[in-house]
Amino acid sequence: MSLLGTVVGVLIPYTAAFIFVVGVLYRVFNWSKSAVPFNITTTSGQQKSLPWINRTVIDRFDSPFTWWETAGRIFMEVFFFRSLFKNVRYELPGQTAVNTKWLWVFGIAFHWSLLIVLLRHFRFFLEPVPWFVMAISKLDGFLEFHTDYFQPHVVNIMITGIILLAALLYLLFRRVAFPRERTLSLPSDYVALILLLGVVTTGLLMRYVIPVDVAHVKELAQGLLSFNPPASPNLHWLFMLHLLFVSTLLAYFPFSKLMHSAGVFFSPTRNMANNSRAQRHINPWNYPVKGVDYDEFYENFKDDYEDIASMGYVVRPEEEV
Amino acid sequence: MMQEEKFDEKEKFEIIQKYSNWKEILKPTTEMKKGFYSYSATLRDQEYLNLPYPREWNPLDKDWKLPPNWKEIIINKMDELRKKYRSFQVFMDICVRCGACADKCHYYIGTGDPKNMPVIRAELLRSIYRRYFTKSGKVFGEWAGARELTEDVIKEWYLYYFQCSECRRCSVFCPYGIDTAEITMLARELLNSIGISQKFTLISAAACVRTGNHLGLNPGGVVNSIQYAVDDIKEITGVDVEVPVNKKGAEILFVTPSGDYFAQPHWFTFIGYLMVFHELGIDYTMSTYAAEGGNFGFFHSFEVAKKINQKIYKEAKRLGVKWILGGECGHMWRIVHQYMPTFADDTYADALKVLEEPVNPVTGTKFENASSTKMVHILEFLADVLKHKKLKIDKSRNDHLKVTFHDSCNIARGMGLFEEPRFVLREVCNYYYDMPDHSIREKSYCCGSGGGLLADELMELRMRGGMPRAMALKYVYKKYGVNHITAACAIDRAAFPTLLKYWKLPVQMGGVTEMVANAMIMKGEIERDTDLRGNPLGEYLEVEV
Repeated sequence: MSLLGTVVGVLIPYTAAFIFVVGVLYRVFNWSKSAVPFNITTTSGQQKSLPWINRTVIDRFDSPFTWWETAGRIFMEVFFFRSLFKNVRYELPGQTAVNTKWLWVFGIAFHWSLLIVLLRHFRFFLEPVPWFVMAISKLDGFLEFHTDYFQPHVVNIMITGIILLAALLYLLFRRVAFPRERTLSLPSDYVALILLLGVVTTGLLMRYVIPVDVAHVKELAQGLLSFNPPASPNLHWLFMLHLLFVSTLLAYFPFSKLMHSAGVFFSPTRNMANNSRAQRHINPWNYPVKGVDYDEFYENFKDDYEDIASMGYVVRPEEEV
Repeated sequence: MMQEEKFDEKEKFEIIQKYSNWKEILKPTTEMKKGFYSYSATLRDQEYLNLPYPREWNPLDKDWKLPPNWKEIIINKMDELRKKYRSFQVFMDICVRCGACADKCHYYIGTGDPKNMPVIRAELLRSIYRRYFTKSGKVFGEWAGARELTEDVIKEWYLYYFQCSECRRCSVFCPYGIDTAEITMLARELLNSIGISQKFTLISAAACVRTGNHLGLNPGGVVNSIQYAVDDIKEITGVDVEVPVNKKGAEILFVTPSGDYFAQPHWFTFIGYLMVFHELGIDYTMSTYAAEGGNFGFFHSFEVAKKINQKIYKEAKRLGVKWILGGECGHMWRIVHQYMPTFADDTYADALKVLEEPVNPVTGTKFENASSTKMVHILEFLADVLKHKKLKIDKSRNDHLKVTFHDSCNIARGMGLFEEPRFVLREVCNYYYDMPDHSIREKSYCCGSGGGLLADELMELRMRGGMPRAMALKYVYKKYGVNHITAACAIDRAAFPTLLKYWKLPVQMGGVTEMVANAMIMKGEIERDTDLRGNPLGEYLEVEV
């Protein structure tokens, strides 16, 4: 058991974390290495033009002019999925578009829950547990559930864990059930969802059904974080499964679409200000392209140009109309 | 009763799954269906523009006469592009295929072809990117959604990247801002590298490089057009309007899309500009060298776009103007706003420096938002003029019109020009109605003919792609009796009359400045009995559908 504990509890997580960190840095480095030749902001709100033209707060971050407004746009995009919130569905029978928020609702439910669940996990890594982790856990677990069946006495239901599962199931459901989404889904889309489902299911099982000794888990987590892992940790099989899913997900991350979490900050249509006429953007690889110069043009159309000169460079109405 | 129920059933429309799984989607679709594929570029235009591997070829042939090492060229070009464009690399890497973009594409709505979903359109290129540039694609191949680069893939690219009008509507809804226009532009760049271009864009682009405008009018032709315009103005208003052309030392250079010189209903907007400028008495000039604001090279490649665009700054410097005013155009303003100053290289960057920060000579307003590029949109200019009440306006001259405004893709999503046109329209007409929310401002639907797709051979695609816009218009037509749609875009003005006829909407099309000029009372004008279109004043002539 102990060798398995070392492999699953120490070697694999370290390897996965290494791949994750190096991989993500590599991808991000690659993106930042490539040039940004043009300012191609997608403007989704009124531009800044004449002083009296009203720009609402929404216009300011949908069509940002300053650095702060652009930061606001990215913030709205990352934390509130601003663009996805605009989603409309085109319905052919009525030939109208209806607002549809389901993808937004489940998408945002998933991402926020994931963030909170991750923050809650700090309690395994940090001793003493920071106050904000305590606070989040307290808030998250306000719903108490009295039972003697799974675990004696009181269980705090962590809402986010349940939401996470529900949201993932919906996201999987829509890929399987809706014809359009089925058409455009690749195996990798399912892989990401299944890995996440694995992580979440094992996590929930540990919490509510098959309790795992938290002391051991904490010992391992803190050991891993301080690069001083326990020599031969004795781990519960369910926890090892959980850890395996997490490690696979981490190692898979840099090679997959999950890189969207870093990529959203690099998207030129979102992270650039709509001020290209006020501040000149420079194309780093711009090179001269020979066009038709004026002199050459003049030579080609000399007669025409002489006529225009003889008119005194002005076109007037003809006398008799 | 029975029949009505049947009719309802027929109206019910569901998108069925056409491809059973991703492997089916990875198989290239190469059937060149009439109405959906573009004609290939002519040899003459390819040679004139010095494009790589010029040749005669036909999309319907099995053999596209690709250069022998075409595969290597594409892979190398892709490698080059991913280093040159962060957007390319990021957009290839981070799509999660959530599907939010799918039904945002008017071509997908109109054709029901899954490969017209923005996500799949990008996937056509992404699958190749994965195969040659990512670990997972190299190792897992098809299972990672990667595929080999074959001639069929090239054919599929040609088919589908010329079914995108680069309208960027999908990019508004994408949670990461993935912009299919960007992907389409780069895919066209890739196709160009092995000598595959579309006929329509190249004809216009070559004409523009050669003559200074897309229509291929010689400088004399441009002057003739202006001549007709001032004659028309004299006939309608009795006012002698003088239009400076190639005048050195003028304060403002006016650049407008060349469609305005010629086509209907662009023409009325064109005479509108000239009337307004005359009435304001501004010191401006038009140019026969920079006679084009639009840029079809933009729908082809970086180099051709730059070839065409550089004329504007070069001419501004030669004429010694202080700043530049731009007419009503869509993609022209995407370029002016987001690309033009980045095009200026060492050989003509000084042109940009000799210009001054734009100041409206009539009102004294500084256009601070254009302080670097020195180019102002006509509607920003007009909004400023109208705000300061510098024009005498008789709104009732537009009373026969119930007006709506179509936000053209590029000025909406590539610039953010929403309030200015609405302000201008409300100032000059009494009846203004907006179309439904999901079809205006940043959510505006494309007319279906932008991005170089105004070609006749793409008619079915255009009519289908314009359907969502037409239906949104139908809504206000039924509800408010809207009978006049305006747009600040030359391609819209060309596309809408056909589109509205096809969808049986008796609504006429026009520009914004036309509305201003029609309502404007000019100094010394005779009693007007017609509007700018030559129709009896205040009378709406039904549009035949």
